[in-house]
Amino acid sequence: MSVNMNGRQGGLLALGLAASLAMACGPAQAQTAKPELRIGAVFTLTGPAAPIGIPAKNGIQLLEEQLAKRTDLPFTPRFIIYDDASDPTKAVNNTRKLVTEDQVHLVICCSTTPASMAILETINSGAVPNISVASAASVIEPAAERKWTFKTPSTDKLQVTRVVDDMVARGVKKIAFFGQEDSYGEGGWMALQRVAQEKGLTIVTAERFARTDTNFTPQALKIKQANPDAVYFHAIPPSSALAQQAIRRVGYTGPTYHGGGSAIVAFIDVAKDAAEGTIISAGPLLVYRELPDAYGAKAEIMRFTQLYGAKFGADKIDIFPGQSWDAGRIAVDAAERAVKGGADLTKVEDTRKRLRDAVEATRDFPGVDGVFNYSPTDHLGLDLRSTFLTVVKNGKFTLLQR
Amino acid sequence: MFDTALFLLADGLTNGAVYAQVALSLVLVYSVTRVVNIAQGEYVMLGALTYADLLDGRMPATMAIVVTGLALWGVTSAWTARHNRRAMMRVLGGAALACLVLAGISAGVLAAPRSAFLAMPAAILLVASLGPIVYRVTVQPNPNASTVVLVIISVGVDMVLQGVGLLFWGSSTYSVAPLANGGISVGPLFLAWQSIAIIAIAIVIMAALYAFFEFTLYGKALQATAINRLGAQFCGIPVARAGALAFFLGAAFSATSGMLLAPLVTAHYDMGFVIGLKGFVGSAMGGLIDYPLALAGVFAVGVLESTSAYAWSAYREVLVFALLIPILLWRSHRLKPGQEA
Repeated sequence: MSVNMNGRQGGLLALGLAASLAMACGPAQAQTAKPELRIGAVFTLTGPAAPIGIPAKNGIQLLEEQLAKRTDLPFTPRFIIYDDASDPTKAVNNTRKLVTEDQVHLVICCSTTPASMAILETINSGAVPNISVASAASVIEPAAERKWTFKTPSTDKLQVTRVVDDMVARGVKKIAFFGQEDSYGEGGWMALQRVAQEKGLTIVTAERFARTDTNFTPQALKIKQANPDAVYFHAIPPSSALAQQAIRRVGYTGPTYHGGGSAIVAFIDVAKDAAEGTIISAGPLLVYRELPDAYGAKAEIMRFTQLYGAKFGADKIDIFPGQSWDAGRIAVDAAERAVKGGADLTKVEDTRKRLRDAVEATRDFPGVDGVFNYSPTDHLGLDLRSTFLTVVKNGKFTLLQR
Repeated sequence: MFDTALFLLADGLTNGAVYAQVALSLVLVYSVTRVVNIAQGEYVMLGALTYADLLDGRMPATMAIVVTGLALWGVTSAWTARHNRRAMMRVLGGAALACLVLAGISAGVLAAPRSAFLAMPAAILLVASLGPIVYRVTVQPNPNASTVVLVIISVGVDMVLQGVGLLFWGSSTYSVAPLANGGISVGPLFLAWQSIAIIAIAIVIMAALYAFFEFTLYGKALQATAINRLGAQFCGIPVARAGALAFFLGAAFSATSGMLLAPLVTAHYDMGFVIGLKGFVGSAMGGLIDYPLALAGVFAVGVLESTSAYAWSAYREVLVFALLIPILLWRSHRLKPGQEA
């Protein structure tokens, strides 16, 4: 811009500035007329568990964009996202910050089970509803003690129950467990022990491996020598796929089952031919195309995969963004009902209480993880209807028909 | 029973051969520079991922790491040499030239038909060039630092490299085709070609390293630096350059190990650290300075790992790392009083 500006230029500039200011302020003012719904989220964006937390953040970002297009909401949703760096202590600090400083109405925390357990006390004493996206059932059970905590991801127990039912139907008597030696694998192991006992199966051996192991054959050999009728794997790829390869390499030919961790395309990519015929228990996202249109969540899953695929790439669609997407949508839906029921979002403490009750009253809510039905005794909201068995056929997951 | 034992032994030796190349790197780096290189395992990861990238026809993200590293090196070295214009220009020119050469080689490999025999040397060169960069940027500026300080620096390098791995490659896993499919049956044993290749290449590397030390001037200079740093300096051996060379070779060996391992376990960003640690447990047997003992150590680690994975799979990691205690007891027993480990 020249220093010697003449009068006319200056006038034009002022006019332009005024116009752009008016344009910038106009919609913003229209928005602030509505009260703000503050949803705080703590995800694991750095550190070892980042692969789970980053997609979860993407799910929330997508939801925020979609919600911005909706004009019918009685409030303006705002999401505040923090990172817990794979550290439960940091998760607690950030949750506390959300509750006391940011004055959020609802919390979505956390990506991992240890962090979700660590914040229970903060959630209860802060009397703020939380929807966790961690996998273990212990986050929400018993529901009486976890009054303020809900979650969206399906649990180990649901997956294992489906698997064991199928084993029983095939006349399997002796099974082996082959799982990851961390909290995820232990969750599967506890669930398998409980369900197997209920259904009268004997576990002949339980072998472990680590996510970063380079060799799985010794354990596979041991399993083969124990001679089980079927093997259940509870781990995530690549190690679950490498373990599957190892069990075939040592010459075991019986049926193999996997928990939900293996229900992603990476499993087939890594295990290749060894994956053929493997039965994997999974949520509806993996097989929604084959489900009947009558299935409650099908339309929602199609909408989600379309939107998410368009923004982040079709190959990035998996369960983790779906879980946070569901958590966010359940929260917004509950808030709509709460506001209709007379909640005033400016009165934060009262709204938190009303929001919690509204989340608990969620019925027949279609999400990416299935159809949610929360109740005072069930804070997971999913049941066997949202757990499916899939079989790998010609390098693709297909719904197991019986 | 005998078949099982034989199988576990073969399995353990393959594990051991993977750790052996890391152990060679650790011993080489420690003996020349006194750096207990915690970050050594990350070169395994970088080697595997770079190789996967080249085989899939992508420009390896390692290139970006190398360029950033060279820029860092160029800027810091130019700053130290700021009073000498010509030295400064030489440093900056050298860094720029290195960037161009490495980019040219990668582009050449990508343009040529896909071949493991082109991709592997290019990937080794690319990852190995990170070694001297890390040395120049982190170790050389602290010439009189104690061993503990150097360990802490290498922990920092490890965190940076692993974080950068996650940043560039994400959390996905990359499948890598083996050098040859299938294998041969020897009696009751089935040996995959890839396992045989791992052991064979490990042996070739050991032999080459031995020949390098015994018959070349550079090798002798490295050995002299390892035996007596000050004495070597008095004899006119540039110890800083020896250190950079040790880091280069160390990174090259570890990267090779990663490339050979990748077809068996896929390549992903957090594969390196544990392999580095297991190589460390094995090298501890040789006190991080004795090559033959370090090799014996890693093969012991490999066999212990596969037998304990068979017998008590839940405790195999514990057993492998607990091996460090008897190794250290044995070493302290062997030393004469007053002698340093």
